[in-house]
Amino acid sequence: MEGPLKELTKLEKLTFGTTSTKGKSPSIDQSLDALLDSLRNAKERFQAGMGSQGILESLAKTVEEKKKEVDDRQKEVYNALAKFGKALDKKFANSLPSYDPLFASPEAKGALERTIAVHFLRTGQFDTAQTFISESDIDVDPEMRAQFMTLHRIMLSLRNGNVIPALQWAHYNDDFLEDRPSSLKFHLHRFEYLRQLLSPHADIAAAINYARTNFPDFYPHHGAEIGRLMNCVTYLPLSRFMKSPYADLANPSIHSELERMFATEYCASLGMSRQAPLRVISDIGGGGALARIEKGRKVMRERKSEWSQANELPIEIPLPQENRYHSVFACPVSKEQSTEANPPMMMTCGHVITKESLQKLSKPGGRVKCPYCPMESNIQTALRVYF
Amino acid sequence: MSQDRLNVDGIMLFEQPFARVPYENYRKVFRSSQKNIEKELGAVQNAAKDLANKERPEDDVEATAKALDGMIARVEGLKRKLSDMQESAGKPTLDVMRERLQHLGAIEILESPNVPEFTRWADVRLDRWLVDWSLRNGKEKTARMIAAEKGIEVRSHHACVHCMASRPLARDIIKKIVDIDLFSDIRRIEDALNRKSCTEALAWCSENKAALRKLKNTLEFDLRLQEYIELARAGKTVEAMAYSKKHLLPWQETHFYQIVQAAALLCYRPSTSCGPYKRLYDPSRWTMLIQSFRLAIYHLSTLPTEPLLHLAMYAGLASLKLPACYNHETRNVDCPVCNSDLGVLAKEVPFSHHVNSTIVCRSTGKIMDADNMPMAMPNGQVYSKEVFDHMAAKNGGWVFDPRNPADRCRYTELRKVFIS
Repeated sequence: MEGPLKELTKLEKLTFGTTSTKGKSPSIDQSLDALLDSLRNAKERFQAGMGSQGILESLAKTVEEKKKEVDDRQKEVYNALAKFGKALDKKFANSLPSYDPLFASPEAKGALERTIAVHFLRTGQFDTAQTFISESDIDVDPEMRAQFMTLHRIMLSLRNGNVIPALQWAHYNDDFLEDRPSSLKFHLHRFEYLRQLLSPHADIAAAINYARTNFPDFYPHHGAEIGRLMNCVTYLPLSRFMKSPYADLANPSIHSELERMFATEYCASLGMSRQAPLRVISDIGGGGALARIEKGRKVMRERKSEWSQANELPIEIPLPQENRYHSVFACPVSKEQSTEANPPMMMTCGHVITKESLQKLSKPGGRVKCPYCPMESNIQTALRVYF
Repeated sequence: MSQDRLNVDGIMLFEQPFARVPYENYRKVFRSSQKNIEKELGAVQNAAKDLANKERPEDDVEATAKALDGMIARVEGLKRKLSDMQESAGKPTLDVMRERLQHLGAIEILESPNVPEFTRWADVRLDRWLVDWSLRNGKEKTARMIAAEKGIEVRSHHACVHCMASRPLARDIIKKIVDIDLFSDIRRIEDALNRKSCTEALAWCSENKAALRKLKNTLEFDLRLQEYIELARAGKTVEAMAYSKKHLLPWQETHFYQIVQAAALLCYRPSTSCGPYKRLYDPSRWTMLIQSFRLAIYHLSTLPTEPLLHLAMYAGLASLKLPACYNHETRNVDCPVCNSDLGVLAKEVPFSHHVNSTIVCRSTGKIMDADNMPMAMPNGQVYSKEVFDHMAAKNGGWVFDPRNPADRCRYTELRKVFIS
């Protein structure tokens, strides 16, 4: 943004403050003041009986002069503005594509409004959600609203360093967490222990007591971590702790990770997505996907290839691992994506190819030699797999 | 396939209007200052010339002094006007520009999308898109609410000299993140069109005459034609003819046929069933006018015709959409496209395209790889090793299909799956 900001600064200097002396020509205010002086001066001389045509002739000249000064100044501003415009053009070289109206059907409109309402609830903007719902024709399940309010109440406590509401929730949902399996409870206790240990006027004995009461249950799965947590005490006070191998335990990111972990488990327990869905798609779409799609389209147009918009994107949009929600199986032999009609098949050796490839590779009698390892197997023994 | 670098160019594709709208606004301020200067100083120049040509001006001191007073008043008025304009429009617009460019510049130095600074920036971005969407859809209260609840953060997230100023009003903030004045204008003119009044829209056309002509936009003709049709509808034939002469004829070079048709319209009653004239009398022309007006003002203000939120959602949904999202067996609660509402919206976008295999565990949602192998049950159901390990430890060596617990087998019956 340096280019446009630099030009903007120049423009500001030319226009800010009426007495600015920047620029080649005097400021408009200065020119107008000088003009006013001349006018008043002429008037005084006439009133004092010293008027003459000569005065008015020179006054007319002054008017022309000052008008030119003002014009010059305006030209300078105009040029600075044009330069700023060019810098913007350079920085924002591509304009947004124009699409036919999207999401315009009544069905889509309703779906979008519900999505936005839930987004406000999910992100804790309860008042905005209320206003939005009153301005739209939709209803939101009051139970869902209550669930999100609970989530935000607990998150707020966590943010303030109070783990008790979160622990209460975890106890209540013990079976669910056990099945996940989730280490949320351990992380809540760990957080509380560290909070007590590292607070400015720490009662170390109390912290250790807390650990003795709460950690033993987690020993089977988190033994090594518990060992670290107990050992780190030897490096107190905090100034020394920060230079020790245990400094990571004092990192504030532990806090935000715990919040995220809690939100994940809470939403999962209610069958809701891990992240706010509207946020996920707008981040992907606004993070480069649209630019890539447009580039792909341009290439297709140049090659005059056909690409029906309703079908499939012409290019692959790279996604972060956390946004891969479904298995995609592309046959290593045919490079085609598997479908219901052409499903993935696992041979005896464990390698997977699609059914059509398998049939093409099979020899009379149904023997198939795996293209990836030396093993031969019978086509009959290949197992249809479900990812 | 992971994205560990920030795609700044891809992000900036969405920001052109955000950066350009205040620039266009400032150009308007400049043009209007120029107009004032020409008008006032032009008059002073003429007055000065008249005075200079006067013979023996000292004979009529009173008249000369009066003429000079008039000139002084004009220059003083101009000076005041220019300074008012700078204070109330010029400087605030420049401030908005600076604030927006700094807001956009803040992400240029970030290395990855996985830093908290970017998360906060993207929070604000989604708020901006939601405000833009709300304003375009007539939900002004929501727009103001978002700004009031979240807007203050826009200023504290990046270094900015104005942060030192006293806490700004919601209206101020909303101006910095979204062009609310523009949308209020649109709303006002559209409301008028809804009331079947073209006056406001015509005023807007005349304010932007030059720009509309440059774009070869004919909104003004369509509005004029509508006013003419309304005269015809009311049976005011004489007025209609006079109106046509005055307001339609100047367009005859480009709209000759329509003008002729309009003249013939006077022979038909509003209840006519004759195709072309029935269409002219059709009240749905008003809806069409609203549409044309919207397109024209968006175009002139360099705003995209679709809300930014729609464009981002289109690309985001298309990047994720897979046939698996619409199959009950493979639905994933974490997947946005599998969400029932977003799934409806995703019907309008193409499927994503993939060249390589990615196998995601349907139980944990994690991508399976050599460290967490995919394992197949005898019935062909594949889950990650991690899932089966946990189950076997809990159930004495037995594992079951998490989606269908009746299907079970011994851990030792599982087979490793190799994806090349």
